[in-house]
Amino acid sequence: MFESIKNNWRILLLVVVVIAATVALFAPQFGPETAPGEDVSEAQQGVTNLQYGLDLAGGTRVRAPLVGYTATEVDFGGDPAPEVAEAVAAGLNDTSETDVSAVPEENAVEVTDSSVTESEFRAAMDASGYAYGDVRSGVTQETRDVAEGIIEDKIDQTGLSGGTVQQVQSLTGEYFILVEVPGEDRSSVIDLLEDRGTVAIDIAYPGDNGTEIQEDVLTQDDFEELGSAAQAERGSGAYVPVTVRNTAPEGEQSPAHSFQQAVADRGFAEAYNSDLDQCDYGANPDDVSNPCLLLTVDGEVVNSFGMDPGLADSMASGSWATDGGFRLTTGEFSEAERISINLRAGALPAELDISGQGTSRSISASQGENYKNYSLFTGILAVFAVAGMVFLRYREPAVALPMIVTALAEVYALLGFAALLSYPIELAVIAGFIAVVGTGVDDLVIIADEVMSEGEVNSRKVFNSRFRRAFWVIGAAAATTIIAMSPLMVLSLGDLSGFAIFTILGVLIGVLITRPAYGDILRRLLTVR
Amino acid sequence: MVAIEVPEVNYTEYSNRQLVAVPLAVLVLALAIIGGWYLVTGAPANLGLEFTGGVELRIADDGGDVEQQIETAFERQPDSVRSIPGDDVYVVTFRAADEDPGGLAEDLSTQADEAGLSTSAIDQVSPSFASDTARTAVFGVALAFLGMSVLVFALFRTFVPSVAVVASAFSDLVIPIAVMNLLGIQMTLGTIAALLMIIGYSVDSDILLNNSVLRRTGDFYESVRRATRTGVTMTLTSMAAMIVMAIVAALFGVDLLRNIGIILSVGLCADLMNTYLLNVSLLRWYKFEGVKR
Repeated sequence: MFESIKNNWRILLLVVVVIAATVALFAPQFGPETAPGEDVSEAQQGVTNLQYGLDLAGGTRVRAPLVGYTATEVDFGGDPAPEVAEAVAAGLNDTSETDVSAVPEENAVEVTDSSVTESEFRAAMDASGYAYGDVRSGVTQETRDVAEGIIEDKIDQTGLSGGTVQQVQSLTGEYFILVEVPGEDRSSVIDLLEDRGTVAIDIAYPGDNGTEIQEDVLTQDDFEELGSAAQAERGSGAYVPVTVRNTAPEGEQSPAHSFQQAVADRGFAEAYNSDLDQCDYGANPDDVSNPCLLLTVDGEVVNSFGMDPGLADSMASGSWATDGGFRLTTGEFSEAERISINLRAGALPAELDISGQGTSRSISASQGENYKNYSLFTGILAVFAVAGMVFLRYREPAVALPMIVTALAEVYALLGFAALLSYPIELAVIAGFIAVVGTGVDDLVIIADEVMSEGEVNSRKVFNSRFRRAFWVIGAAAATTIIAMSPLMVLSLGDLSGFAIFTILGVLIGVLITRPAYGDILRRLLTVR
Repeated sequence: MVAIEVPEVNYTEYSNRQLVAVPLAVLVLALAIIGGWYLVTGAPANLGLEFTGGVELRIADDGGDVEQQIETAFERQPDSVRSIPGDDVYVVTFRAADEDPGGLAEDLSTQADEAGLSTSAIDQVSPSFASDTARTAVFGVALAFLGMSVLVFALFRTFVPSVAVVASAFSDLVIPIAVMNLLGIQMTLGTIAALLMIIGYSVDSDILLNNSVLRRTGDFYESVRRATRTGVTMTLTSMAAMIVMAIVAALFGVDLLRNIGIILSVGLCADLMNTYLLNVSLLRWYKFEGVKR
């Protein structure tokens, strides 16, 4: 028993791999990740766990840079970031301060107003007096991260499974945002990216019959600056800084003043005297005991806040409006990030240049379905062509049949891998599968010819020495294929990385598992007579 | 039943010079075509959408006189209109306009909608991204070729046989590019993948041949004969798969697979010639004359 396992372990390994691939392909445990409210069978496309990419399932892919310029290696000279940003913004006409930001972590200052040219920005940087290294096109890492988060959010909100956002870098070092949304056409994806909600701050306060709401105390236009989430200097909390505009046309009250007035009128100062006084809107929205600030997006309440006693007092005394800044504080940094995203209401921190430098690809679901069927058909015919050639050449089913079965097992194992990794199958991946059948059969031909050359194979020893000889060639050939394909795996060349990954995986499975197994099968057929 | 008999070349009848002349002539011709292409068009090959930028629409052919409609639907004249009968679609391509690259895809898709055409796919590539892709692609192919060369030298550790492999791989890459130009096939990402695959595939038969001649004892011609028998079978099987893939994919309009199929078929043809004429003669020279010196 043990002896026969030892003698046939290569074949057994192949069987194990095929079984494992079957499990990965069909077992529901390995099913695709589900969207909220979706069960596995809904997320599955067809009977297997395979995921199909854009080409085969339909959908839209958009790849575009965020517009802006970034000055790198800026010497802040110990000045706080807002001050630096302000100084630079002062050198740019018609550019609001919200479009210029300084990021101390990256020693960078960026402008996200798409009308500013590189030379204007350079001039403003020079005028600001801060030394800087260079100006490159594009925005800072922080802005890209924020944009990525916002887009991710938007896609999640549509409830579509399989939508992805990522940052990719080109060979020249430029960053792009890559968005893929399955099942949606180009215009709806672009609408989704450009869509912007309305943000407002309401005040909820205890009235005679439970909670009463004063709506739109602050609206989108009233904010001068919406900061990004930051960690509190003391303690574990996090916050989002915002500044309310304190300018208004002649004869009108500035938003900061009217907000201050509203807060004073609703009795924040009386209600919040210590840190123990909290907003309880979250617990009982219909009957609050203290007044609360409510952050709403498109009329829906998304966050509620109480108020720091000091802040409430300064509003009551009327001294707050001149500065106009406050912080929306929260316990967790991730929560602060959410608030920051909510405040932006889906507006990206920099413009996504889709029509200019962008690249997009959109395929309708029916076209995808067609591609899927055609490429399956093409693949099957290609396998038949290979099988036909092999039969014509050897005319001995004992040699040819295992060859074709082995090559197919290789593709099957690869499909299992794809299901396991949830790697979306694209046209390019299918081309990779066909390439694998090609190289696979090539190598099997080498083994068969080598083993059967120079007369009968009458002993195990003869077989093994010939098999080893064949394997040197196969190993060398496999190594060159892997080397030739590896640049594609890492370079940003669209679909081709899938092609390269699967060709390389196929070659590895072939050399390590299936081709040795074919050797064993052949040995049994040739020596056991 | 028909059987494939691998033809046997009687190498002894020809001198090395005669054997090398054919592949070298073809290589020079291919290089001349590519060079000429570069002088005339400014690019070594017909660059596809991915390398020039522009917009490609696939428009469903739902009976009717779609071709006529396409002629009139767009404000700009399409650069090419291709019909794919197997898939009932027309592929309409617009090169990126130099003066106004922005907004092209939106405009075109609106114009198509207004004309009552149903678009099943839109591809838009910006010119700046396209030139970036082109650079990346050239870099990738160069890197792959370099990696392969280094590996081959490491495997054989002798100069002439290694150079023989690298030279025939180079020729295998160049000939398909020239043929692509002549057939009017555009250089796309798919063809880049195919070129890289040629590097992988073509080296197989060369390694087999070198291994058979250098690492095994026995008569030179016997070793070559044995390697040829196996190598030609390998190349023909792969070619069969690729030709079928090219034909079927062309009928259905799956461009990526069609291009890969065509390029690889041509590349494998070139490989047959290069391996069994160029590589064999270099090896023979090395075996009979080179070693003695």
